[in-house]
Amino acid sequence: MTAKQKRKIARIVTGTLNTLFKVFVGFLFLFPFYWMAITSVKPYLETLQFPPTLWPKNFTWSGYQTVFRELNIWMYIKNTIIVTGSVMVIQIFVDVPAAYAFARWKFKGSGILWLLVMAAFMVPGQLTFIAIYFMFADWGILNSLLPQILPSGASAFAIFLLRQNFKQIPEELIESARLDNASEWKIMWRLMIPMSKATVVTTLLFSFIGHWNAYFWPLVMTRDEKLKPITLAIERLKDMERGLDYTVIMAGNIILVLPVVVLFLLFSKKIIQAMAYRGMK
Amino acid sequence: MGKIVLKNICKNFGEVKVLENLDLTIEDGTFTVLVGSSGCGKTTLLRIIAGIGPATSGEIYLNDEEISDVAPGRRNIAMVFQNYAIYPNMTVKGNIEFGLKNNHVPKAERERLISEIAESVGLTELLKRKPSALSGGQRQRVALARAMVKKPEVFLMDEPLSNLDAKLRIQMRSELIELHKRLKTTFVYVTHDQVEAMSMADKIVLMEKGVIQQQGSPEEIYRNPSNVFTAQFIGTPAMNILKLPNGCHMGFRPEKALMSETAPYENCAYRTQGQVLTREMLGSETLYKVMVAHVDGSSQPVMVKMTEETIAEDRSVRIAVPEKDLYFFDREEARIRKEEKPGQYEECLRCLREVRT
Ligand SMILES: Nc1ncnc2c1ncn2[C@@H]1O[C@H](COP(=O)(O)OP(=O)(O)OP(=O)(O)O)[C@@H](O)[C@H]1O
Ligand SMILES: [Mg+2]
Repeated sequence: MTAKQKRKIARIVTGTLNTLFKVFVGFLFLFPFYWMAITSVKPYLETLQFPPTLWPKNFTWSGYQTVFRELNIWMYIKNTIIVTGSVMVIQIFVDVPAAYAFARWKFKGSGILWLLVMAAFMVPGQLTFIAIYFMFADWGILNSLLPQILPSGASAFAIFLLRQNFKQIPEELIESARLDNASEWKIMWRLMIPMSKATVVTTLLFSFIGHWNAYFWPLVMTRDEKLKPITLAIERLKDMERGLDYTVIMAGNIILVLPVVVLFLLFSKKIIQAMAYRGMK
Repeated sequence: MGKIVLKNICKNFGEVKVLENLDLTIEDGTFTVLVGSSGCGKTTLLRIIAGIGPATSGEIYLNDEEISDVAPGRRNIAMVFQNYAIYPNMTVKGNIEFGLKNNHVPKAERERLISEIAESVGLTELLKRKPSALSGGQRQRVALARAMVKKPEVFLMDEPLSNLDAKLRIQMRSELIELHKRLKTTFVYVTHDQVEAMSMADKIVLMEKGVIQQQGSPEEIYRNPSNVFTAQFIGTPAMNILKLPNGCHMGFRPEKALMSETAPYENCAYRTQGQVLTREMLGSETLYKVMVAHVDGSSQPVMVKMTEETIAEDRSVRIAVPEKDLYFFDREEARIRKEEKPGQYEECLRCLREVRT
């Protein structure tokens, strides 16, 4: 066998292994989604069958019908949308200026403040929720969506990510803008954000996913059914009187994750951009 | 109007003192070139004038009005950065328009100004492009247009041509000179290239280690340097500097030295003999490196520039310099001028004569 042939074989073998590995990893991640999707359209009895069917023998939309019939699903979706939307809007207005200040301004105590932000990043909500709950009770706002919104008004993670990005932007651009008589506000919105588009979109997307899927925080912050988000509603599908009906539960879950998956597919390119190192042009 | 006066400017970066007690006056309408080697504080000085890197202490006046505390955007000063600093997210037009918008110039007026400026720097066809789709020279024009459109009283330019290739650089150089003639505004231009400084400046300000070594017209700096540093900085190749037995220094420019294999050069103040080491053909001129027997008995290499190339390598030659082309510097490397310090001057001349006899 010549050296050339050997190299060719080696290339084919590594190429095949590479592809196989990707397929395997992809399978690991995608299979649960697939399972969820097909289960949601199987009739009840087929979900209990053993061995399970990999493709539903009989299609049914009854799971979805049950979800819409038994839950006031639009109310929950509305709550989730309001909470998630408000959090994202507030975060933009809090995180971007904070990140800009941390990246570009030397002010007294900036080091300590930065440490505090990072520390807040590491303290889990499970540690603070009782104190926060009582604080909100004091303020008398438990009877609104605010307890779900306010604590997420600033995201240390987003501030961190944005700051790293802002730091990469050449100083001269900002100085140039100052010479062009631009206010700090203008510099932020017309220069920093457009130049960090990928990072901004990514942090917003993470924030969206985090709050759309939030479970623990609304669970401990809400008493009133009217204020609960869709995650808690889907959870309730489990303990209805009809027992564990996987068709219904999975239909609910599909409704829950569908917006997240769609958004992720739309923005996946931006996310990869934000995570990979980019040189400035 | 755009006269700048700097008084007693100091600038420290932490412990490092970059500028110390610097005084400088830049006259209205001049093309002033700040020149000096890398790291000598040129950019720092420009940033102080622009207001984006304030001085540690000292005062700046623009037309006799103190502006030390005025925000950069309100000084009526425009700056072109070394790397252009064009906003990558905006089109060419957006870049030019940004400053106007911030100054609340009405839309119609903006459009008029932009098309006027774009026309004058040749960007009309490119107004809709993004900076990433421009060549280096085109970006440079955008940076210029962005500065020009604000009609500033002072233009600051930090090595604006250093990223361009040689040909484009020469072209842009003459365009800038023309621009200055047309606008009649004050230009402060930074470069570390002495040829650029000589060819563009009305006035050269030569800096070294944060200290102004000499300022004056290019001619004056070339013909009448006040110290060894200036003498060696301006002119290529640099002035030959040789030590004298009394501790002072003697200098002459390579293009002023006379050299031949036979001529006795009897009327020249400095005469010596040497041997040609290398010969470099530069086109219209030839550059010789010659090892000469110096007055203190040592052998030293000197450069000689001639228009003919009749002398071959390894040949023994005579070299001479007339008195009018000789420069003397004292032990501190400051110039000894005949009219200021005749005593010292004569002493140096005598050193040369003694050895010759
Ligand atoms: N932000 C800073 N912190 C500390 N030192 C600095 C800072 N900026 C500049 N310096 C120092 O100040 C000195 C002058 O810098 P400056 O940028 O003015 O030089 P320059 O004359 O423009 O040089 P070049 O021709 O290379 O651009 C340098 O020694 C540099 O190291
Ligand atoms: Mg510089």
